[in-house]
Amino acid sequence: MPHRIYDVIVIGTGAGGGMAIKTLCEAGLKVCALNSGRRLDPHKDFRSHRMPWDLKYRGFGDPQTHSASEPDFPGPSEYVHGAWETEHVHTTAPGTDWVWPRCSAVGGKTNFWGRSSAIFGDIDFRAASLDGYDVDWPVTYAEMAPYYRRVEQMVGVASTVQNRPSNPDGIYLPPMNFRCLDMILQKGAEKVGVPYLPDRISQLTVPLGTHPACHYCGNCTSGCDVGAFFSAPYFLLPAAEASGNLELRTNALARNIVVDESGQAQGVAYIDRQSRREFEVYGRAIVIAASCLETTRIMLNSKSRHWPTGIANSSGQLGRNLCDHLYGIAASGYLPQLVGQPSFPDNVSDSSIAWMPRWQNLLHPREEKFIRGYSVYPDGGCWEFPSYQDEIEGFGSSFKREIKRRYPAPISMMTQIPTLTSPQNFVDIDPQAVDSYGVPTLRVHFQWGANELAMWEHSKTMCGEVMRAAGGIVDFVADHPESPGYSQHEIGTCRMGNDPRKFVTNRFGQTHDVANLYVADASLFVNVTDKPPAFSILTFSLRTSEHIVQQFRDHTH
Amino acid sequence: MAGQNIERREILRILAVAAAAAGFPGFQKWAFAGAHSHSSLAQIKPTAYRPVFFREQEYALVERLTDIIIPSDETPGAREAGVSEFIDLMASRDTSLQNRFRAGLMWLNNHSRKRRGKLFLALAAEEQVALLEPLAYKAKYRAGEERGRDFFDLIREYTVMGFYTTEIGLKELDFPGLRFYSESPACPHQNDPEHRHLPSPNL
Repeated sequence: MPHRIYDVIVIGTGAGGGMAIKTLCEAGLKVCALNSGRRLDPHKDFRSHRMPWDLKYRGFGDPQTHSASEPDFPGPSEYVHGAWETEHVHTTAPGTDWVWPRCSAVGGKTNFWGRSSAIFGDIDFRAASLDGYDVDWPVTYAEMAPYYRRVEQMVGVASTVQNRPSNPDGIYLPPMNFRCLDMILQKGAEKVGVPYLPDRISQLTVPLGTHPACHYCGNCTSGCDVGAFFSAPYFLLPAAEASGNLELRTNALARNIVVDESGQAQGVAYIDRQSRREFEVYGRAIVIAASCLETTRIMLNSKSRHWPTGIANSSGQLGRNLCDHLYGIAASGYLPQLVGQPSFPDNVSDSSIAWMPRWQNLLHPREEKFIRGYSVYPDGGCWEFPSYQDEIEGFGSSFKREIKRRYPAPISMMTQIPTLTSPQNFVDIDPQAVDSYGVPTLRVHFQWGANELAMWEHSKTMCGEVMRAAGGIVDFVADHPESPGYSQHEIGTCRMGNDPRKFVTNRFGQTHDVANLYVADASLFVNVTDKPPAFSILTFSLRTSEHIVQQFRDHTH
Repeated sequence: MAGQNIERREILRILAVAAAAAGFPGFQKWAFAGAHSHSSLAQIKPTAYRPVFFREQEYALVERLTDIIIPSDETPGAREAGVSEFIDLMASRDTSLQNRFRAGLMWLNNHSRKRRGKLFLALAAEEQVALLEPLAYKAKYRAGEERGRDFFDLIREYTVMGFYTTEIGLKELDFPGLRFYSESPACPHQNDPEHRHLPSPNL
């Protein structure tokens, strides 16, 4: 029996996959989307409105499967059951520490993301021309700007126009209001001479189309039950499903790309996770957006006589150039001004109300002892759990009173530091290990480099200065950053560029070697910048998807 | 903004469903801690909790320690909030935690016998406090009590976790989250950005 051939197979339904699915379906193409996990039902699966005492383990998770010392780390969660994977499908090279939280639910990490949405500018796209390190992107801001504007209007971003050289402005909803702690820290930042501004946040401060405004309950990263911030299931997939052109296969774990006689992509082999049986699905073109490392793993595992080291890897660059954001608490402590004051709803967005956008190396690319720059997310105040009791000595009524007095006052500053590419940082397939489905696992080779560690030291000094200038007390500085991978912002393993000998894909995310295979996630990105990747994944995927539509109209695919 | 009122109702419905969804049975004190106000607590005699992991004597000691760490004073404390039940639950699911608690409780009783000639629970309240202070305040640390200090940190951490995740504990803090706000809450002191002239704290 002849098998059905779809126009496009899309692997992944998150920021990259979701945007591709919507764009392709709305253009009339028949799409089969593969998603490795299940669909979530927000009303059943998101327990973000539960008080902690309504959860068996109070939100800390079952100690048998969950480390109480890391209650916030994605894992088996009492707030969202079964969205995050528990199996490790990577190994690490000796000396490498790498964590890889994976969200397999439909919509992927967009269900739970931090929503911080600053966009890339020419300072990022042309960074190599400015400081001489590595290579420029094959696109410019002028080229990307119209796509950024369209995504801003589709998604809804709350912020203000800020006229900063490292941060192009866009079209914004009214910003989130500053809280007491923001007012105080902003004054401190002003004295030190660094910016403290409303973040760009994809959270609806006013209704947008059919999407309601936020109600500021504060448990965003456990999933939003009304869809008041952008996620693929609320904002992208409904339009695709309404078109009648989408077939979404859930629990479908993509294993490898299947190629035809000429080495072009013909389909995808996947494992149905419930029956554990393997299936193939065929399409004229394939978009892979399984998240940076999973995309790379699928491509490296797509070996054939045409592609002995993985599909579309004639450059040998597939898996190379792994970059990440170094996250760490550069300073934390408290604001004495707020000690003993009434509690205030500080946590109404699970972070991202304010940020300190890159202020380093703006006038000259080599002003500092490092190149490029980083940004900082300040936060604090009254959250669900008093977070600073370790800093208070003793016990008894005085301890209890001090916890209450200090409840509105804690502050902390989290850095977002880009790593530079390094020949030592890459992924390959571990020849010794397979996962529980028999699929070879990824092996990660990664170390922080000197440039990012210099920024880390710089950020500790600067954040401490800002806090002290605001009248704050710094009582904690992290000895070391969070583990690599913690940010979930890995990028770079299928970089885009014009030269087929040096890059995996061209400027549209189309692989140089295989004309009908496209990549639409952060693995494309050339450098990691000081901005979070999700919003740019949406934007690049929109552009790639429209390029694919054009190829179909031109009868190339 | 007609549409917003519908949304508002929908959101309030969700909040109400979530509040009513406390489906977890079994913990005597949590159940009534959630259902009654402080004033009525004293009149309710809960049936005795039967620990899952701890032995009776150990459990009594855990309960006493949580009570010393977050006492009932002008406001309810760890005892009313059933913190020892939470610790028993968490320990019952984690063998390494079981070992740390059991060894720590044993250390404390041995220590108490050595210094005061009695088990910890047999001491007067002031003696108990005197024994714990060197484990809790840097200025009072004594050599040779490192294991005791580690244990005290552990039980204090779990007492805080268990207390501030109950309705009693979050009421104590006046926890302002998981509510409905019609706009993002703004600092009410706009003409005092440095917050140098706030009203004196109540506490």
